[in-house]
Amino acid sequence: MTQLHLFYVFAALVTFCSVMVVGSRNPVTSAVFLVFDLFLLAGIYAMMEAHFVAAIQVLVYAGAIVVLFVFVIMLLNLEQESHGKVRVSIPDIVMMGITGLSFVIIAFLVARVPSMATVGEMTPEAIAAAGGNTYVVGMVLFTKYLWPFELASILILLAMVASIVIAKKDKAAKPGRRRTVNANQ
Amino acid sequence: MPTSESYLILATIMFGCGVFGVLFRKNLILVMMSIELMLNAVNLVFVSATQTLGNVDGQVMVFFVITVAACEAAVGLAMVIALYRKYGTIDTDFLRVLRG
Amino acid sequence: MGLDLQQIQAFLDNEFAVQLIATAIKFAVVFAICIQVPPIMIWVERRAPALMQRRKGPNRVGFFKLRLWGLLQSAADAVKLILKEEIVPRGANKIFFQIAPIFGVIPALLIACAIPYGNDFQLFGYNIPLSIVNVDVGFLFILAVSSLGIYGITIAGWASNNKYSLLGSLRASAQMISYEIPLGMSLIPIVLIYGTLDLNQIVIGQSNLWNWGIITSPISFMIFFVCMFAETNRAPFDLAESEAELVAGFHTEYGSAKFALIFLTEYVVMFILSCLASTVFFGGWQIPFVPHDTLMQLIGGLHIPVLPYLLDLVGWGAPFLSLSLQEMGVHSLIASLIGVAVLFIKAGFFMWMYVWVRWTLPRFRYDQLMSLGWKFMLPVGLANIFVTAIIVAILNFK
Repeated sequence: MTQLHLFYVFAALVTFCSVMVVGSRNPVTSAVFLVFDLFLLAGIYAMMEAHFVAAIQVLVYAGAIVVLFVFVIMLLNLEQESHGKVRVSIPDIVMMGITGLSFVIIAFLVARVPSMATVGEMTPEAIAAAGGNTYVVGMVLFTKYLWPFELASILILLAMVASIVIAKKDKAAKPGRRRTVNANQ
Repeated sequence: MPTSESYLILATIMFGCGVFGVLFRKNLILVMMSIELMLNAVNLVFVSATQTLGNVDGQVMVFFVITVAACEAAVGLAMVIALYRKYGTIDTDFLRVLRG
Repeated sequence: MGLDLQQIQAFLDNEFAVQLIATAIKFAVVFAICIQVPPIMIWVERRAPALMQRRKGPNRVGFFKLRLWGLLQSAADAVKLILKEEIVPRGANKIFFQIAPIFGVIPALLIACAIPYGNDFQLFGYNIPLSIVNVDVGFLFILAVSSLGIYGITIAGWASNNKYSLLGSLRASAQMISYEIPLGMSLIPIVLIYGTLDLNQIVIGQSNLWNWGIITSPISFMIFFVCMFAETNRAPFDLAESEAELVAGFHTEYGSAKFALIFLTEYVVMFILSCLASTVFFGGWQIPFVPHDTLMQLIGGLHIPVLPYLLDLVGWGAPFLSLSLQEMGVHSLIASLIGVAVLFIKAGFFMWMYVWVRWTLPRFRYDQLMSLGWKFMLPVGLANIFVTAIIVAILNFK
């Protein structure tokens, strides 16, 4: 079993799970397949020797973000969508076409990058010699990207305050104010 | 060793699934999950670029993308809860206050 | 004998094959130990409170005159659970109800792979580590995979289609997310002090009693110790299954082998967190005051020709009979195995603490739990990181 075969197995599983995330009717099924997806991606990162990113991926994405999703799904008790029919409108198709076209163009441009760009000195051997992936990433993160790092922490603080304010129960609201939208509308 | 193109193809498939979910699913939480899927496709491209270009900046970018995704999920889910409290549904077909 | 010495030599020259066999053996042993933990712990958990409350506890199960202080009660329980009928409630989500216990047990067994049970040893000229996967981000790996354990509980409660189960799983997921943050923060000072994310390197750094994590960073240990109980949903934080309010919480609807699996998960996570606590704060496989090199020298000088005598019976051992353990090349293996035993003694102490605390302290209220986590543990953890970072920076200042 070479690394290439392993990659193909992982890629096939990632594809399947991605399709299941958007294709399944039950939101909890989607969330579970999203977890599988993120875990498999972490495996692919680990195969690329990006151990730090792989660990962070599982820790933050699979371990915290998707748990939040599952938590909200259970809190709101969303079993099914109101009606399962996929309604396709012309603006949707136009948007899909534009997205697809621009994506193909970008993909072509990106695919040409390796031949155009100058290859840096951080080959896997150089990273291993410099003290391992985590050390190298940490050095770059805390020197070259110090200010973006600080900004990211402020962003997290803002998000924390914002989500508390938004999700807080409105004390002024009267009991009868909650309005349910008629499903036949 | 897989080529850089194979990573890009995998990322494209994931991104396509995400776009499909955002456009055609009506559950707001599923729309947000599709956005996470697209962000992950981008992360995959970043990490594969790290390998092909011999430069670890891509992995640092993934770190930032994950940070932003966490913030987005927290605020977005708070908004979903607020919407559910107000309207009793999170179906995108019914949330048309702005006549969208 | 059918085995050809040259064949063995050729096999031993292939490093990949040797490492593969070693990994397979380590997998089998760790899995066997993890499976054995719950029955023994259930026995302890019945007999220990009996001791505290001056009664006898279950001590009758056995056959003939063999009673073993009731130890066979656990075996009887395991057999009973496995032989029972599998029941799925009518309104439950069948698929998720069936696979939720598996979601729980997989992360628990995965973390077991990253713990360094003993020091690396040399055998046949190869360096064989005594953790199954030797990742250089062992710390992050354990935190990451243990955070996946939430799904087992959450999905089990949701799929049961029972209001008590759902409430229990909502409580469990909120509690485990909340306490994961102080748990991670309590470990950061250790990373700062020992300067590595590799767990085995951290243990090597704790060579002396004065270098143990509990001495260098006592506040970290206190936070970690509280979070250990919260992460495993054990008393006094067992709000996910508080019998008085929620029947049995997330596993109300579970029975038979699936319930056994949920139990297995809980005790394996307890065991692994105990191993982690002793690895990070109590010197892991290091024996206090006896450095590993000294131990290796002591063992290397011994003449214990048991193995050569056995080999001599089949006609192989004659050349080994007069050699010491070092000359036979097994002294580092034996020293590492002694380290494993030391680690398990330390972990056993923490397992006992789990039982002790459970039968001593009453359950917290849910808002008390949350305010303890967010308003006390989190600020203290942050302040601890800050102070430790300053001290480490001053000590390393040149």
